[in-house]
Amino acid sequence: MRLSSLLHKELIQFFRDPVVLFLIFWLYTIEVVICSYALGMEMRDLPLAVVDTDESPASRRLIDDFIAGGNFRLVAHLHDVAAAEPYLERGEAQAVLVIPVDFERELYRGGQALQFLVDGSNANTAAVARGYALQTVEAFRMHRGTLDERQLATVAAQLRTWYNPDQTNVGFTVLAMIALAGLMIGVVHPAASIVREKEVGTIEQLMVTPIRRGELFIAKTVPTLLIGLLALFPSLALVGWFGVPVRGSLPLFFALTALFLLSAIGLGVLVAAVSRTLQQALLLAFFGLFPLMFLSGTMVPVDSMPNLLQKLSLASPLRHYLDITLGIFLKGAGMEILWPHALALVAIGMPLYLAAWLIFRRWL
Amino acid sequence: MNPWRIAAVATKETKEVLRDPITVGVALLMPLIMLLLFGYAITLDVDDITLGVLDEDRTPTSRQLTEAFTASGVFHLERELTDPHAMERALQRGEIHLALIIPPGFERTLARHEPSPVQLLVDGTYSATATLVSSHAFAIASGFGHAAGPPALQLETRVWYNPSLSSVHTVVPGLYAVILMAFPPLLTALALVREKETGTIAQIYASPLSSVEFLAGKLIPYAIIAFVQMAMVIAVGFLWFGVPFQGSVTFLLTISLLYVLCTLGIGLLVSAVTRTQLVALLAVLIVTLMPSILFSGMLFPIFTMPYVVQLYTLAFPGRYFVDISRGVVLKGVGFEILWPSIAIVAVYTLLVFALAAWRLKKKVA
Repeated sequence: MRLSSLLHKELIQFFRDPVVLFLIFWLYTIEVVICSYALGMEMRDLPLAVVDTDESPASRRLIDDFIAGGNFRLVAHLHDVAAAEPYLERGEAQAVLVIPVDFERELYRGGQALQFLVDGSNANTAAVARGYALQTVEAFRMHRGTLDERQLATVAAQLRTWYNPDQTNVGFTVLAMIALAGLMIGVVHPAASIVREKEVGTIEQLMVTPIRRGELFIAKTVPTLLIGLLALFPSLALVGWFGVPVRGSLPLFFALTALFLLSAIGLGVLVAAVSRTLQQALLLAFFGLFPLMFLSGTMVPVDSMPNLLQKLSLASPLRHYLDITLGIFLKGAGMEILWPHALALVAIGMPLYLAAWLIFRRWL
Repeated sequence: MNPWRIAAVATKETKEVLRDPITVGVALLMPLIMLLLFGYAITLDVDDITLGVLDEDRTPTSRQLTEAFTASGVFHLERELTDPHAMERALQRGEIHLALIIPPGFERTLARHEPSPVQLLVDGTYSATATLVSSHAFAIASGFGHAAGPPALQLETRVWYNPSLSSVHTVVPGLYAVILMAFPPLLTALALVREKETGTIAQIYASPLSSVEFLAGKLIPYAIIAFVQMAMVIAVGFLWFGVPFQGSVTFLLTISLLYVLCTLGIGLLVSAVTRTQLVALLAVLIVTLMPSILFSGMLFPIFTMPYVVQLYTLAFPGRYFVDISRGVVLKGVGFEILWPSIAIVAVYTLLVFALAAWRLKKKVA
């Protein structure tokens, strides 16, 4: 009875602040949409400048091949290398293809070399550009018959991508952004709501009432959990909108989301318990969020991190939650595959919760 | 405008900041932690890709193909798979990134100089990794048959500005933009909103302070913190991560001063339109931190984004600063190339301050 009226009060307080509601809604939907549109695309339209010193039918065909697939976009057609340099400097071109004089004549005699200059200031883009260029030249070589019989004895590699056949990022981004929103709200909201009571002094009023600390603890954490779960519904609509497959079980997803939110809330309460002012709490929450975000794989794949960080990433609940989310939606994985991640969430969440509870009990 | 009043406000604010160890600690430690995490975690270099091989041919040639993959140094043979089902499980569990399937009769067809198909299955969950994995794998597989003779057409790639294609060199200069976007606005916004929330702002309104004096005094300590953060991050990037500094350090520091002003202005504007610290924090997350990571081109190149989103990125100054700092640090270019970006940041700063001052003045009056 006391618990339910406390819960009632927390929920009223939550829904009374339209700006906070709006910002949470923004994080769970609009931010997800923008990011998915922005970051979901495969890497295409790389701006390319071409220096064609040969001006032959063959060189023009090669240039056409570069542009045709949509991987590159022609920004400049130049006649000497010096003219290309400013394009790289200003970042207007990511790469420059240099076709040598006598390209066509030498093409059938062997030993012909094309130059490909890449702007390395974004290492990832540069690597992708190089890969695309290699593939284009490879295809050019095969189709233009510059190979003799002996070289035709070739491995025909058929490439297929699973779980995400177009190699777009959309599914991943939608899911990662939703997970990220869950973490931010899960940590920041309980922290703010508890410290605010400390700062304005209402926590003393609660202490002189017959409310038990356990009840207060529950009343401060359950609303965030509820909101976190409710906020999933608009997000799921987005998942549908972006055509992300739901290959696994949605109830399982909700259950594991609850588990994840609990660990985030535990962290939020812990932060609230050790800080005196809201500013401290928010800064600390921020301080905690950053490493958790960065070690989670939402920004960069965990696989490409150094070993030590890969191990550290196991401590980030977001990392496990991301694997769970991607597993359920994209791969159709069930509990038989996801149980280690679920277990990890419990292992991370329990101590956080316990510590939060112990500190919470002491200062009340 | 009275400089003494500004100094008084600045002194009071500095004392308040210094009295709070958590704020100072976060302000000074966080950029370093971010730098280390970003520097080490955000390596998009893929050099240890786990490979599973389903070899249904089991001939010397098929083993040679497997070796061609492992010898490249990019792939690392995680396991030999026995049947398609095991392969599927391994991909699903994420134990392997790439499965190479060599069908029976591979050696025979290759010996007959016929195109011999092999299958490459890539885990596409992380598309950034998948793109790199596939281009590496494709290059190795299709290069396999050509060992017989000299290739008729070669592509010589030369990488400029970052010849080793090191991600750290990409990330650290971009990070200057992010760190300065994360903290100064957050600290200023929280500092101002706190006065509103606790009601002390009413005292300011009642004092003879003009709004410009008040704001200038409030901002000075945070500008100093931000500038210290910047210098610290540049030093660590240079000394610890060995990012080559091609351009002029003084030039970059001068521009960062402008950028710091801009980010402080954003914090000011956020505080002018919000009432509680929680709202200010969420708003700062949405208008500064996330865009400076996601929409600045620091990690994700802007040209791949749809046109509408490209327009959206224009609204965040982080984008221009990423261009400026990469230009100075990696390309060694200066004002002659970067002036358009610098001009935009300057205009942006003026605009933000004007808006914030206008909002606050309306309240004070």
